[in-house]
Amino acid sequence: MSPILSVRGLAKHFGGVAAVQGVDLDLPAGLITALVGPNGAGKTTLFNLITGAVEADTGRVMLAGTELARRTPARMARLGVARSFQDLRLFQSMSVQANVLTAIEPHAWFWQPGGRRAHARRLQATEMALAETGLSALADALAAELAYAERKFLSLARILATGAQIWLLDEPASGLDPASRARFSALLRKHAGQGVAICLVEHNLDIVSALADRIVFLDQGRKLAEGEPQAILRDPALAAIYFGERRA
Amino acid sequence: MLVLQLLASGLQTGALYALTAAGFALIFGATRLFHFAHGATYALAGYAFVLADHAGLPWPIGCLIALAVAVAFGLFTDIAIYRPIQRHSASFFTVFVAAFGVVIFIQSALEITFGRSFIAVSSALTHASQILPGLYLAQVFWVAIAVTVLVFGALGWFLSRSNSGIALRALAENTELLRAYGLSARRFSALAFALGSALVVPGAVLGAATTGLSPVVASHVMLVSLAASVVGGIGSLRGAAFGGFLLGIAENLVVAVLDTQWSEAAGFVVLFAFILLRPSGLFGTAVAR
Amino acid sequence: MSAYLLNLAELGTIFALLSLSLNVLIGYGGIFSVAHAVFFGVGAYAGAQIALHLAPDVLLAALGGGLAAGVLSFALALPALRVRGEYFVVASLGLQMVATTVFTEAQGITGGYGGLVGIPPPSLFGLDISSPRLFLSVCIAILLAVMAGVHALMRGSFGRSLMAVRDSESAAEAFGKIVPILKTLAVVLGCIIAGAAGGLFALQMSFVNVESFTLDQSVLIMAMVIIGGVGTLLGPLLGTALLLLLPAALSFLPGIPPTELGAVQQGIYGLAMTLLMIFRPGGIAGRAEGRR
Repeated sequence: MSPILSVRGLAKHFGGVAAVQGVDLDLPAGLITALVGPNGAGKTTLFNLITGAVEADTGRVMLAGTELARRTPARMARLGVARSFQDLRLFQSMSVQANVLTAIEPHAWFWQPGGRRAHARRLQATEMALAETGLSALADALAAELAYAERKFLSLARILATGAQIWLLDEPASGLDPASRARFSALLRKHAGQGVAICLVEHNLDIVSALADRIVFLDQGRKLAEGEPQAILRDPALAAIYFGERRA
Repeated sequence: MLVLQLLASGLQTGALYALTAAGFALIFGATRLFHFAHGATYALAGYAFVLADHAGLPWPIGCLIALAVAVAFGLFTDIAIYRPIQRHSASFFTVFVAAFGVVIFIQSALEITFGRSFIAVSSALTHASQILPGLYLAQVFWVAIAVTVLVFGALGWFLSRSNSGIALRALAENTELLRAYGLSARRFSALAFALGSALVVPGAVLGAATTGLSPVVASHVMLVSLAASVVGGIGSLRGAAFGGFLLGIAENLVVAVLDTQWSEAAGFVVLFAFILLRPSGLFGTAVAR
Repeated sequence: MSAYLLNLAELGTIFALLSLSLNVLIGYGGIFSVAHAVFFGVGAYAGAQIALHLAPDVLLAALGGGLAAGVLSFALALPALRVRGEYFVVASLGLQMVATTVFTEAQGITGGYGGLVGIPPPSLFGLDISSPRLFLSVCIAILLAVMAGVHALMRGSFGRSLMAVRDSESAAEAFGKIVPILKTLAVVLGCIIAGAAGGLFALQMSFVNVESFTLDQSVLIMAMVIIGGVGTLLGPLLGTALLLLLPAALSFLPGIPPTELGAVQQGIYGLAMTLLMIFRPGGIAGRAEGRR
């Protein structure tokens, strides 16, 4: 199966520190890929480079075979690449419903094109995303007033509503209680089953082994390994790196 | 010789701006608070000195009173205004509005008490004499320069030698450290407010002795110390000092070309240009974003 | 109604427009401008010039004032795109200080300290509306129209986008928002309305000079928005009413010499701003728990 998003040789230095060094990554439709690695491995930076939030030094990003030069977060969003943030970055002072609705109103003008009919469609997409994430009853609550798990689901609802085909999720399930985590995982599985390419950064290896189809192992900005979860997680050398026993 | 004369008065104004701005920068560095009410500290210290003088007290006592007023007011804003706000809101805007409210309040209180016009202390130091053909300098010029050099020297010594000073400087240079310090940063915040507020005293006293004071000095000094810090690079002491001199000189030199009405605007044109072109300032590293 | 009350009501309508427009910047855009009086002034000078040289038509003055302020608002939009937070406040302070000097010095356009005098009484489409009642009705009609428009925009996708950018710029970008355009539109919209208010102000006063467009005025407008409640529809109107009635209320209090009224008024709203930020940062009409 050919990947819908592929990354070749992406690299970024901050001052003298190489944050990401020539990473290749393929995200095929319908698969959940987990980025795993110790702190500072460059996982979040990789997301930032892909979406153009941080400008890459070198490297290419291809979407369905077309190279995307001069990426900006806004443009990537329009091309169907959605991302979440580790610290969620909800629109705190807005209602739950408005958080989702505004995520699918990207036009920077006084109003959105398409008139009432398009607005009705966006309202419907919002309702569906809220229903799927179990937030319908909280639609009018302020984002800032939500409980932790609800906030996580809201950050997912924003992405769901966009209908994006590529999701970059930064620690989406961390800190969730087991029941919420199961519900969260089921949602991700369902959408992967419908053809969404999901890439997630995750520290919790239980979540990774339960959820991921593939693992990409990063350390110090390099890709060290890639493959089936069980094979990667059983590799003693990688485990040593992950759990902090540095090579000489 | 006009340019030389203007340069000299620019240096004198700049020296006082530099000290005030350094106080602002010190407070910002240690607490990440934009202490907009710093100008009010300046005004209160100046008026305290004038009152003491009018009461017939000798000037060293007047300076001590001004110092006590400045430090007390600085600590008061920290404890009674900023801390309660920061307990419930991390938004800079809330802090800004509260501090701005304080400036307005102090300004109108001074206006009601002392009237709108300038008041000053008369001093023999301000009688100018001709140094070079066409260049008139009053002794207060040398006093201003000497005091500035001395205070900056003492400040530098304190920040590099004493334990609290080193801790303050470390906080200013490293925000992460500030976070890691957590609660104990509170103690340093009080120290920074006391020290930063004390730095307005030379400017306020010399201001009272030269140009005089009026209630609007509170907002003027607030603007100038802000501008100097931004131009120099927020949180950088060296930058603030440099920015203060730069603004003082710009304000005075512009008179050589334009009417005096433009002198205040000149400083703000410099400020505006800096924010547009180099928001991190001359000595700053982190950009505002 | 007495002439005094009518006059107060006219000013109230004009300041309501001002605080409403500043609320677009502060409350929705998170753009904390302390230079709003600049655009009020630009609009007033433009309106006065139109009234003096073309026709003293209310709509023409409001439109001309709005247009002039809208064009010059890019001077505010530029720093808004470069920096935020305290830095932007400082930039807008700088703009305000420079503009005050320009207003004083550009005597050909503004009349300097003396200002522009002898602005003819207002008309509308050639009809004389110089009677205070008529003029007030026209101002109220304009205010209501602008309120309805701004309310619709802020409740719609534009308002949501602006608030999203205010709450988290990076997240807003990640959902396709084009932040520079949104911020520029907010600044231009707010300044156009301020300029239109200026045009009305010129006709209401029949005289304008720089004293109405200084930092003090900017702070007064800001205080109206903040005391009323940022980011709410009615908050700015409430703040406007309170702060405009304050001097009138004070003049009934015994013991305050008339010359000190201005200072006492400023002292009160300065104190009110500080106390509100400590105890109720959302303003009177805002949510009690405050903004985050």
